[in-house]
Amino acid sequence: MSLAKFLVRRSLQGLFVIWGVVTAVFMLRFVTPGSPVDFVAPLDASPELRARIAAELGLDQPMYIQYLDYLWGLLQLDMGYSYISSTPAAARVFARLPATIELAVAATVVAIVFSIPLGVISATNRHEPADYAATGFSLVGISTPNFWLGIMLVLLVSVQLGWFPTGRRAIGFWPAVQLIWQEGTLAGIVVWLRYITLPAITLGTYFTALITRLTRSGMLDELGKEYVRAARAKGLPETLVRYKHALRNTLIPIITILGLQLGTLIGGAVITEAVFTWPGLGTLVIDAINSRDWPIIQGSLIVIGAGFVIVNTIVDGLYAYINPQVVYE
Amino acid sequence: MVDDDIPSTVATSEEDLLRVEDLETRFFTEEGQVNAVDGVSFAVRESDVFGIVGESGSGKSVTALSLLDLVESPGRITGGHIWYRNADLAEEHRERTPEAVDGDFVDVLQLSEGQRRALRGPSFSMIFQDAMSAFNPSLTVGEQIAEAVEVQRRAEANPRSVRSKTQGYGLGSYLSGLVLPQRDFVNRQSKLEAIELLEKVGIPDPAERADEYPSQFSGGMLQRAMIAMALAGEPDVLVADEPTTALDVTIQAQILNLLKDLQAETDMSIVLITHNLGVVARMCDRVGVMYAGEIVERGTLEDVFDDPVHPYTQGLLGSVPDLDRPGDRLHPIKGNVPDLIDSHMDDRCYFADRCPKAMERCLDPPGERQVGGEHAARCVLVDGEYDESEALADGYFEGSTAGDAAASEGSTADAAAEEATSDD
Repeated sequence: MSLAKFLVRRSLQGLFVIWGVVTAVFMLRFVTPGSPVDFVAPLDASPELRARIAAELGLDQPMYIQYLDYLWGLLQLDMGYSYISSTPAAARVFARLPATIELAVAATVVAIVFSIPLGVISATNRHEPADYAATGFSLVGISTPNFWLGIMLVLLVSVQLGWFPTGRRAIGFWPAVQLIWQEGTLAGIVVWLRYITLPAITLGTYFTALITRLTRSGMLDELGKEYVRAARAKGLPETLVRYKHALRNTLIPIITILGLQLGTLIGGAVITEAVFTWPGLGTLVIDAINSRDWPIIQGSLIVIGAGFVIVNTIVDGLYAYINPQVVYE
Repeated sequence: MVDDDIPSTVATSEEDLLRVEDLETRFFTEEGQVNAVDGVSFAVRESDVFGIVGESGSGKSVTALSLLDLVESPGRITGGHIWYRNADLAEEHRERTPEAVDGDFVDVLQLSEGQRRALRGPSFSMIFQDAMSAFNPSLTVGEQIAEAVEVQRRAEANPRSVRSKTQGYGLGSYLSGLVLPQRDFVNRQSKLEAIELLEKVGIPDPAERADEYPSQFSGGMLQRAMIAMALAGEPDVLVADEPTTALDVTIQAQILNLLKDLQAETDMSIVLITHNLGVVARMCDRVGVMYAGEIVERGTLEDVFDDPVHPYTQGLLGSVPDLDRPGDRLHPIKGNVPDLIDSHMDDRCYFADRCPKAMERCLDPPGERQVGGEHAARCVLVDGEYDESEALADGYFEGSTAGDAAASEGSTADAAAEEATSDD
């Protein structure tokens, strides 16, 4: 089976999963107590007014009609209207998406940049100070809750030292890049970096620690294998033995973990976003849940679910590309 | 009578290419110090095949790894010399490290780590027991052979510079090679040479097979490819560690023939590590029999096979079925190889506890004695016949020594070496 065919099949499977997410998210509204009308209608609304609101929101229809309506709408990227602001839910959800993706990717970049070299240093200097330092760091990193880390970074680095802003997002990545061509200035990117650094570190620390440990143990495992000895026996420079041979095989399983984690970061940044008032999907979902704004909740959850599926499909393709032993079945 | 304190000397010959003297490799494990190679001496002549035979756990593989300086922590070469004849190398080191040079011979163990590493490939090379694990599963076979070609090409381009051979290729070079194809370690030319090498070892359609991954090869084909990889550097000494053990019998014969042919063609010397006496008889000119980290008997193939002196050698030969006399019972050697942990080893002939001819004299460590010509053995029987009146009582060693302890713990030098590389 070719890679293309494999990807097509994985994509179809992915669509099926997304449909499952949509259905589950839709059902959620019917199993939670309280009608959305309670939150939309004024407290003293007459039964007639409530009925009219329900009809307007389509809530008077049988459940399967509402379901089919919702599915049909989704196919046209219509997620309904926010109960609170009456704006299209899809627009609000997608407006938040870039911030979330930026943060997830930045956290992943932080993780990759720090964890893989740390893991390699640790493995190649086993039982030496550098190894103890790296394993110590990863133990601390894995055990630190990120709400605490975020607050501490804000207190120490932002408030005391004043190096970075305490929160919010002043500019998006894409507008910042556009500034480079249009105005020829790097100022936009600098501002973007200043705002995203602390949230990315906060979100990426656990991830960094995890990948450091995986890289270390994977690398130790690979370095003990016979092919490493054979590579040394033929006189290959140690750099190539370590990075071209051992690290390559170490990274194969790590890429899977990276993909899974990137997927969870898209939905799992809620706490970090809250600490830094980062305008991503996480804060949107929290606000929407607090106000029972169902179209927003549903839309966000579907986008998060779809993001997870898409990232994992891409990672599976990448994995098959990197690892020649994978048979696309 | 040979004084035990005098280190065994190797009969030197003009043709010697490699002289190993009193090589000691130890593993420092949690169970204690393991003397995997304990004062091994032998000489390898030019374009000769030297066989090292012994049971599993006798230290033969560690000897092989020591020759290439591939022993890994917690193992370490703790003593001895590996004199390697190479006039250019001797010239290069005569000024800087005179103590490491003796005539045209250079003591490899006295060179720096980088200098020793530079000898791998062009001077020493190795083939392994299991080709499937000796190839990186995620790189093509052609790429891995081309790497070996490239190592050799760089060595030739800068014969005097150790740095350019090894340290010159750092992380920066590797990373830029990932982005820029022309900076890659392996270039087109070496890939073409890799294909030629594959053809030379008898792999059909070498150009296509070069782009395949090890998992797409059969065991025998991969063994051939590994030989091609080891030969890429045109080594002076090829160390072959159980090269045919993992293969079925018909393929074994093909691989042995291939090695023989290639040796005739390239004039290299081969150090062949095996437990298979048939392979030794077929391939080797000279043989060393290893037991418990020592070479207990060595000489020409005829010396050792036709006229064995050491009871262990006799035992090994006696445990091979003789097709001319079917129905004869085999005579296995009783007991097990000792575990080689220093504290378990008494100061005596290590084979005495399994030896049918053990005498009181065997309780002193026997030095190596010349039998005649190149033939030497570490056994008191060289000095005189077995004397029954001096025989040790049955069960003399029971409960006290290495052999039984080893059997129960199942830990041997090879096992220790393996643990050493895979723990954590």
